[in-house]
Amino acid sequence: MIGIDLGSRQVKMIQMQQGQVIRREMADTIGFYRQYGRVRDGQLQIDLLEAGWSGDQVVATGYGKMAVSITGAQQIPEIQAHALGAVFQSQRNSFTLIDIGGQDSKVILIRDGKVVDFLTNDRCAASSGRYLENMANVLDISLEELAGYDQDPAEINATCAIFGETELVARIVEGFSLPQLAAGVNYALYHRLAPLLKRMDSDLLVLSGGVALNQALTRILERETGREVLTLPDPQYNGAIGCCVFGGI
Amino acid sequence: MGRVGFTTTIPVEVLLAAGQEPVDLNNLFIAAPYPQAMVDQAEEAGYPRTTCGWIKGLYTAALTSDLESVIAVMQGDCSNTQALMETLELQGINMISFAYPYDRDPQALKASLYKLMDHFGVSEAEVEKEKKRLDQVRHLCGIWDELTWKHNQVTSYENHIKLVSTSDFEGNPQRFATELEQLIDEAQQRQPETGKVRLAYIGVPPIFTDLYQVLESLGARVVFNEVQRQFSMPYKTDNMVDQYISYTYPYGAFARLEDMKEQIQKRQVQGIIHYTQTFCYRQIEDMIFRQKLGLPFLTLEGDKPGKVDARSRLRLEAFINMLK
Repeated sequence: MIGIDLGSRQVKMIQMQQGQVIRREMADTIGFYRQYGRVRDGQLQIDLLEAGWSGDQVVATGYGKMAVSITGAQQIPEIQAHALGAVFQSQRNSFTLIDIGGQDSKVILIRDGKVVDFLTNDRCAASSGRYLENMANVLDISLEELAGYDQDPAEINATCAIFGETELVARIVEGFSLPQLAAGVNYALYHRLAPLLKRMDSDLLVLSGGVALNQALTRILERETGREVLTLPDPQYNGAIGCCVFGGI
Repeated sequence: MGRVGFTTTIPVEVLLAAGQEPVDLNNLFIAAPYPQAMVDQAEEAGYPRTTCGWIKGLYTAALTSDLESVIAVMQGDCSNTQALMETLELQGINMISFAYPYDRDPQALKASLYKLMDHFGVSEAEVEKEKKRLDQVRHLCGIWDELTWKHNQVTSYENHIKLVSTSDFEGNPQRFATELEQLIDEAQQRQPETGKVRLAYIGVPPIFTDLYQVLESLGARVVFNEVQRQFSMPYKTDNMVDQYISYTYPYGAFARLEDMKEQIQKRQVQGIIHYTQTFCYRQIEDMIFRQKLGLPFLTLEGDKPGKVDARSRLRLEAFINMLK
């Protein structure tokens, strides 16, 4: 079973056999479309054989699935794929899933293994991986280093992944230290999530998507919500794993 | 006979009694070949990017249509209308104001109505006569609506487009009624469409041009178009004041809520889509409906005219999937 998550930034591919991941691959979305996509009848078609993935049933999800057709693939909604992946990976049935990807975030309420409600962030890329990347860039540190800070945050209101930069520069000028600025960025992400979490509360919060790798966010979530916070073993591949679960593994 | 534009549903009977052709600027804007170009034109004139797309479309629609005057609804609709009225006045458009009283007081509404009648030089008897004529057209709209939710023979989009058009009856109530009668006859011959997720659409009409088609393609049917249905005045009333007091839309979230609750139950709705326009105060009222309606609830936001964007589509898909 092959699961593909056509994300806004990265394409994630997973192959599973008897409940085990046997192959995984991540590629830059634009590069992947350019390399393996062909426009036929006004639609981008991707040939998986050419991309080196073959011989199995394929289930796809993600932003891209509307515009891109993958030869022979079944398509499922993104929220469903993420929920299936999270239930499979966490081995839990009732929780709030927080998926923070490259350009958006989703909060999904799961009860007895099923989606009962969900919310998504504003239209812009605030509270997404792109925001963290841009801010790390301004601070001239890596994403890994950024993820190390969660104490004594400088106040950053960041409503925008682009204008956030201006605000950060203003705080630098005001004399805040790097740890305070980095913690401020991580807190800004949390503050964007907080109203969504208030409406989708559970005793357990599960994190998926690339931003789940940010340890500072995990610690902030634990501290501020008092809830148990679990990061999935394979957070970035969760949607692709969910596709495999849907297809039957 | 002149054409008179308006910014939202007004007592159209007054215009008809005065021999004027009613033109809902919203319909003119959204049915235009390139509605986005009208938004762009308003922005070029100086309208901020951070204001409602409808207001900008209405501005250009009023300027580019041959209208004798425009009635601006200053209370009971949109708080931006005042500035819309003023900027149109600046361009030399003859503006008339109308207001629905927030407290739904019949005496205050009567005063507003009489002021409008005076402006157009028509009597109460003439206006009530028009109301009687329109009662028959509105009765047909009720049948059309019933064919949607009860008999499942009219599609979500067909329901929307006919009911939303009752603010101005496409300029000619008689022609509108004749066409609707034919459509009813035709729809009654159709096979009922069952097995789809039954949705309510609440809030102002969408700025998206293909929302209903998208919903149907995802396996859902809108069996209740809240505001559009209100435009068609689905009540049995004896006079103008009663009719426009029964009309829920201008009197706030709680007036609308009662009607919604009743219809949602009657029509066996499974989930609610609350549409709000970007930059609109109704985004705040979302809290009330979300809390009070007690059904799965999706808030959908639209900004510019055009097709449903990929992100909204994804949310609609997940929502409908959740209800299946």
